[in-house]
Amino acid sequence: MKSTILKIAFVTIVLAGGCKNVLDLRPLDKLESETIFGSPEGTRIYLANLYGQLPIEDFSFGRLGFNTANENTGGIAPATQTDEAANSEFSHLLDGGGNFQWWDPGYKLIRDINLLLETIPTVTTMSEADKAELISEGHFLRAYTYFALAKRYGGVPLIVQVQQYTPDVESLKVPRNTEKETWDFVLAECDAAIENLPASRTSDNRRATKWVAYALKSRVALHAASLAKYWSKAPLSGPAVSQQLVGIDPSEADRYYQICIEASRKIMDESPFELYKPTPSSPEEAAANYMEMFQNPNSATSEVIFIKGYTNPGSSGHSYDFWFNPNQTSEGSPHPGRMNPTLEFVDSYESYSNPGQSSPIVTTTDGNVSDYNGYNPSKNYLRFDTPYDIFKDKDARLWATVILPGTEWKGKTIVIQGGYIQPDGTAKIETKESIQVNGRTYYTYGAADWTGYSGFEVYLGNMTRTGFSFKKFLSPNPVPPNLTYSTTDWIEFRYAEILLNYAEAVVESNYTANDAQAVAKGALNSIRKRAGHTVDIDLTLENVLRERKVELAFENKRYWDLVRRREFHEKFNNTIRKALVPVLDLRVSPAKYIFVRKNVSRENPLTFPTNFYYAHIPGVGANGLIQNPQY
Amino acid sequence: MPTKMNNAMKLFARQIAKGILACTAFTVFWGQALAVHLGEITDQEQVTVTGTVRSESEPLAGVSVSSTSDSGSGVSTDSEGTYRIAVSDNDTLVFSFVGYAQQRVPVNGRGRIDVVLVPRDQQLDEIVVVGYGTQKKANLTGAISTIQADQIQTTTHSSLAQKLQGKVPGLQIRQNTGGPGDFDAMINIRGFGSPLYVIDGIVRDGGNEFQRLNPDDIESISVLKDASAAVYGVNAANGVIIVTTKKGSQGKTQFQYNVVVGVQSPTDMPEIANAAQWMEMRNDAAVNAGLAPYISKEELEKYQQGMPGYESTNWYDETMKPWAGQQQHTLSAQGGSEKVRYFSSFGFLNDNGLLKSDAINYDRYTFRTNLTADLTNNLSATVELAGRYDRKDGAGYSIFDIIRGTISALPTNKPYLNGNPDYPTHITDGQSSNPVAISDPDISGYTQDVNKQFQSAVTLTYKVPFVDGLQLKGVASYDGNNYLNKSLTKSYKLYSYDAAADVYNAATLRHPTVLGNGYSDMNRISLQAQAIYNTLLSDRHNIGATLVYEERNGWTRSSGLSREFQFFTNDQIDMGDQNNQRTSGMESQWGNRSVIGRFTYDYLGKYLMEIAARYDGSYRYHPDRRWGLFPVVSAGWRVSEESFFKDGVPFVSNLKLRGSYGLVGQDAGNPFQYVPGFSTSGGGGYEFSNGSYVSGVAAPGIVNERLTWFQSRIADIGVDLGLFDGRLNMEFDMYQRDRTGLLAIRNVSLPNTFGGTLPEENLNSDRVRGLEFAFGFSRAIGEFRFDIGGNFNFARTMNVYVERGPFVNSMDRWRNGQANRWSDVVWMYDKIGQFQSEEELLNSPIQNGELGNSREMIGDFKYRDANGDGVIDGNDTLPLAWGGNPKMFYGLTFSANWRGFDFNMLWQGSGKYSVRFTHAYAEMFWGDGNLPAYFYDRWHLADPYDPNSEWIPGEWPAIRRISDIGAMYNESSVWRRDASYLRLKSLELGYSLPVGYIKRIGLEGVRVYANGYNLLTITDPFVKAFDPEQIEGALNTGWVYPLSRSYNFGINLTF
Repeated sequence: MKSTILKIAFVTIVLAGGCKNVLDLRPLDKLESETIFGSPEGTRIYLANLYGQLPIEDFSFGRLGFNTANENTGGIAPATQTDEAANSEFSHLLDGGGNFQWWDPGYKLIRDINLLLETIPTVTTMSEADKAELISEGHFLRAYTYFALAKRYGGVPLIVQVQQYTPDVESLKVPRNTEKETWDFVLAECDAAIENLPASRTSDNRRATKWVAYALKSRVALHAASLAKYWSKAPLSGPAVSQQLVGIDPSEADRYYQICIEASRKIMDESPFELYKPTPSSPEEAAANYMEMFQNPNSATSEVIFIKGYTNPGSSGHSYDFWFNPNQTSEGSPHPGRMNPTLEFVDSYESYSNPGQSSPIVTTTDGNVSDYNGYNPSKNYLRFDTPYDIFKDKDARLWATVILPGTEWKGKTIVIQGGYIQPDGTAKIETKESIQVNGRTYYTYGAADWTGYSGFEVYLGNMTRTGFSFKKFLSPNPVPPNLTYSTTDWIEFRYAEILLNYAEAVVESNYTANDAQAVAKGALNSIRKRAGHTVDIDLTLENVLRERKVELAFENKRYWDLVRRREFHEKFNNTIRKALVPVLDLRVSPAKYIFVRKNVSRENPLTFPTNFYYAHIPGVGANGLIQNPQY
Repeated sequence: MPTKMNNAMKLFARQIAKGILACTAFTVFWGQALAVHLGEITDQEQVTVTGTVRSESEPLAGVSVSSTSDSGSGVSTDSEGTYRIAVSDNDTLVFSFVGYAQQRVPVNGRGRIDVVLVPRDQQLDEIVVVGYGTQKKANLTGAISTIQADQIQTTTHSSLAQKLQGKVPGLQIRQNTGGPGDFDAMINIRGFGSPLYVIDGIVRDGGNEFQRLNPDDIESISVLKDASAAVYGVNAANGVIIVTTKKGSQGKTQFQYNVVVGVQSPTDMPEIANAAQWMEMRNDAAVNAGLAPYISKEELEKYQQGMPGYESTNWYDETMKPWAGQQQHTLSAQGGSEKVRYFSSFGFLNDNGLLKSDAINYDRYTFRTNLTADLTNNLSATVELAGRYDRKDGAGYSIFDIIRGTISALPTNKPYLNGNPDYPTHITDGQSSNPVAISDPDISGYTQDVNKQFQSAVTLTYKVPFVDGLQLKGVASYDGNNYLNKSLTKSYKLYSYDAAADVYNAATLRHPTVLGNGYSDMNRISLQAQAIYNTLLSDRHNIGATLVYEERNGWTRSSGLSREFQFFTNDQIDMGDQNNQRTSGMESQWGNRSVIGRFTYDYLGKYLMEIAARYDGSYRYHPDRRWGLFPVVSAGWRVSEESFFKDGVPFVSNLKLRGSYGLVGQDAGNPFQYVPGFSTSGGGGYEFSNGSYVSGVAAPGIVNERLTWFQSRIADIGVDLGLFDGRLNMEFDMYQRDRTGLLAIRNVSLPNTFGGTLPEENLNSDRVRGLEFAFGFSRAIGEFRFDIGGNFNFARTMNVYVERGPFVNSMDRWRNGQANRWSDVVWMYDKIGQFQSEEELLNSPIQNGELGNSREMIGDFKYRDANGDGVIDGNDTLPLAWGGNPKMFYGLTFSANWRGFDFNMLWQGSGKYSVRFTHAYAEMFWGDGNLPAYFYDRWHLADPYDPNSEWIPGEWPAIRRISDIGAMYNESSVWRRDASYLRLKSLELGYSLPVGYIKRIGLEGVRVYANGYNLLTITDPFVKAFDPEQIEGALNTGWVYPLSRSYNFGINLTF
């Protein structure tokens, strides 16, 4: 009897497994297409992925590509590839092969966007209005994506459908469109976006709107127009040129400028946007307003057209505070101080007493600002009581963008000093020494210990080499010194850029309709007024470009401005960027500061070859495309 | 033997008078064991038994003879091998002797019992555990090695892998790192890759779990090295390791307490420059770069004399202890009645780390109970329960960071400012942190990993009546593992001292403090139904058949959570800040279902044949393509059983030719690759409104529905040879494994505008070829008996097909081709010497690109211009070295015993591989930190303060900083060193106290022993300091926990 029971138990165990098929399992982290596209809410999480991949050249964009906040970029930001800033440790320009290369991820994003654009019309559970809006949003994303490709590679294959895989790969190859066709396509996509995007959003207010699409159109058209006008400044040759895959006929320039003018004017005339705090009472107030806008764009909603947000420190934040605080406020970050604004950048700001022109920092009685050979004992240097008095009259935005020597940042006086002149006249510059004078110890770098200063010593590349540190976008509050802990939001489009686009397009094309010349001059001066200037200046190309350079500094526009206007190869032609070295002059008592204009130490001469204006197209062996010139 | 067996049979038959014996008497042991059961029923009478114990050739002295009912009454044989013992007439005698198989002989009223003991490793009758069953060793046709408990235990180490290293032919083991609780040894059968692990018939977890088994619980380990693994189907392509744990046998309860305690220290550590050496070399670096000396002559002299304030800090000594302790204890009991037999054990192991802060530690508790009960005449049940709790503690920084600090921190710095322990120094030399501070849990936090593992199995075995030789078996097993992780990453302060102001400036590091908890819960169920049939037809045809249905499935849930502390209070999640909390979690599940069949046949034990197959289904693949058949066929011919051979070659006691060929599988890639779903992982996210981050879903990629397992075809041919009555045994195997279907992405030149990438497909193939040799020799001379055993394995892998685009030219093919070439080959520059003069420098090929030879100096390495174009660049590299995986493994064991003494020595070695260090161990002033002392033997100026003084030659080039270096660090034989080694892995000397003494204190056996581990290493002197077995670790830095040498003392008590 007992054994019978056991036999039954035995058989039960054996058969128990048969009840459930252990092989019929489904993955727990995958979703069906219907779940995603069945509703606007589901589509929203797919859009989050698309927006996340969007080539927004923000805090997380750099040498290693987009969304690299959690990578060791060495603090090599787009600005350090230009004349805006040097990196405290690395000195090089990107090469053509790696020139902000973005090909494969670009076409991956296009595939993802095409999937959205193809799928939405087939969905039956969504209203036509919802569909139309989503399709316009898809066109915006595609315009943005092709814009990023066009400005890197020139004419590219325009793929507007999801290609189905077939082993016959020949049928999958799509040739390059001409550069003109590509720009026209991007502009047409902008129009398709404008068509059904809402003018504003109450929720999800960081998704595209009609005005964001206009702003993109303004930027795209200005880029295309500049290329057409200036392409011949750095002419290239080869099959890509002869087939117009790169290069736009100069006759197209005015058409593109006009598109830019019209799109910009639409925003200026019809949108609710305006400059943030346009009439400060003093330069100090102007500086505070300007800083506030970048420290928290959400406080400046009147100006900000499109924000890319950062949140969740440690996962979806960026790393600007990690890399760019001066050494003294690194708060434990091992690699601070990487962004060093250059002297030529600082020079470009106007002074209030001399409006309408750049105002280089004069350091010697002879007023010579082109001698970069370092300290010269035979010269008469101007002496100053503080390390920052020399900048006193300069544009408020300089004070809001750059940490000047001896100024306060996060509760500390930032010491940037490159040396001293001993009472006997011996100069000790960019070497670590100390000296006793009248019972007081002086240090070449301004303090005894590396924790007490932020400049010039070769210390892990953490000290500025240019004499300037950087603060635009940095948080005034404590930020944990780790990668991805910064949550300052990024302004991708703001009203001031639209004004500057408009002014540049008007002055470049000498456009006169709709009172354009006066409106443009007004636009230019309204931005200057917001910066504390009181004297209006004329609408000239030089004035517009200088204003653009200083107003949009470090907003990652400079790189492409130099590209589209074909100025890069002129700016960087065996060029060493420049530094301003504050030096304590101990020959006088009390000691005073003198300043030495010189080449940045340990910086190699940099050259931008003209073929770098177009990046190398990867994988031409497989995609069958014609390579860009001189690769 | 046959006589005794017949006696047992007669007794059995007379007392029970039933003829049900045949089905139970598979082996001598079984027959005897049953006889014992029956014997117990009869009345008991005292008898005196005498007899002689012999090996095959001579009498054995010192053999322990005891009875199962009264283990305290044991005696030993004298020099003639004779013994005399008083026992009850139904008792069973146990004959044990080191190196020989224990024998149990029922007395059955006899007065004289003579016994022939068989050396353990020569027993052709030995029963070997194979997949889903056992086989007599003589009848094996596959390449299967086994190792028994006592052979495992001759090495003392916390990891089971290290106890096996060098002992099993074809089982390749490399220790990798030495951290307590790391268990990251490489275990690899014949160069195939990580094997499958089977414990007591159930497929269980991988190498890491295997290494944590309590060795005292293990009866034997079998290694399936060829296609005999095919009975395990998918995932057996790399071979199978089968562990069998101890079971109880009938008799009085026998307790065993094993304890071993020891100390361990690193086998070696590279010496780092002291302050004076560092300053001298730093001076060199400045002078060699054309600058003024780094410090003045007066200052340098102060360092050289070690004046107050100029002492040298040895950061390793500041951070680490010279030795750490380890101990292992196991208490077990085994025994049983007629119906129920049991083995039960409890074990504890502690392995202490070398950090002075004691932050590193490993504790392990294990238990096991194996119970066998005869429920009815035909039905028996086995219940196996085992559990483990182990806990590994670590510092708040990885050992990588800590070791880096001990190497790279400057000897001129001190752990604490002005010797004040309140102010640990903030240093960043060599991009390292103060190793004393970061290894201190009070300063920088800690990590803790706890596993709670439970394994169970219930087996019912039913001998079908009326069908002789048929058994049915059902097995149900549940295993669970709970993993708990806790890590406290503390924010802390380090200081610098401003002497002028007498102020300590604090730098805050790693702010904020983060406390994390991680959990994962793993479950696994295995069910088996087996039918086993064995029969002998016409006294000649031995037939066996096995049919198994098996089903396995499992599920895992894991989650993690963390919080930050702006101000750290307590290491409890609830005490953390509310903002910025983080959580994660995921589940996964899997399942397999299989049918296994095996048919064995032999004719008179001479001609052997086996056919087996597994039909295996896996959840991982597309339903239409998830089932695979994995067959194996093997055959053997025992030539020595042929009469012509027996007569013709009498000194050959065993000659067997065998061969096997079969197909095995190996899972490829991630599961569910056939499902084209949108994925929540891998998609970017976006903040659609302020503070509201939306996680995106990623679009499906192109899916390969046809993805399937790798297929391995394994062929093996072998010869087993026994000479001189089995005193010398040899085994020789040659094998080849061809794998096809390795994953690669098809090179169809998909245009990169397509926007998607092709999925992985089963495209590539490779081949492993190897040979293996093992021998054993044993001899007894009087009371002295010794065994010598050795094994050797050499295996290489060749890439056969590698998917790739066409070669651009023949240089491309030569330089980048992989197909039909050995893998793991390193291309490097051929160092042909050192520059001896400025003139030689100027006239040599350019080896530093655009810089020419401008940065090269006398004493720098000179490379061969292989293509003769006057420029030394990538085109001049040659395939000059094997990479980091040893291709050759060997081991040599010598063991001996004399009277109560036993001695065991194991030499082990590996060959055909290289090691290469980078960063601080192989660069001067890496990151401006300290450098190894070996660089001190360098080319340098006789007087650095006199640029015109003469050059003193040295082994190493002139010292320079990285910015002034030419091509010195190019990959060459300077830096990539052959790491082949031979080492005295373990040495053990034991003494078993005479039975007579210990009986009086109520013990049955006492053995004391001392042993050492990693005692001596013969290898390249450069490599030796790093330990050749140790891996280079992340970034090839060598910043890993050092391997250790240990000295241990142990006692085995039986009572």
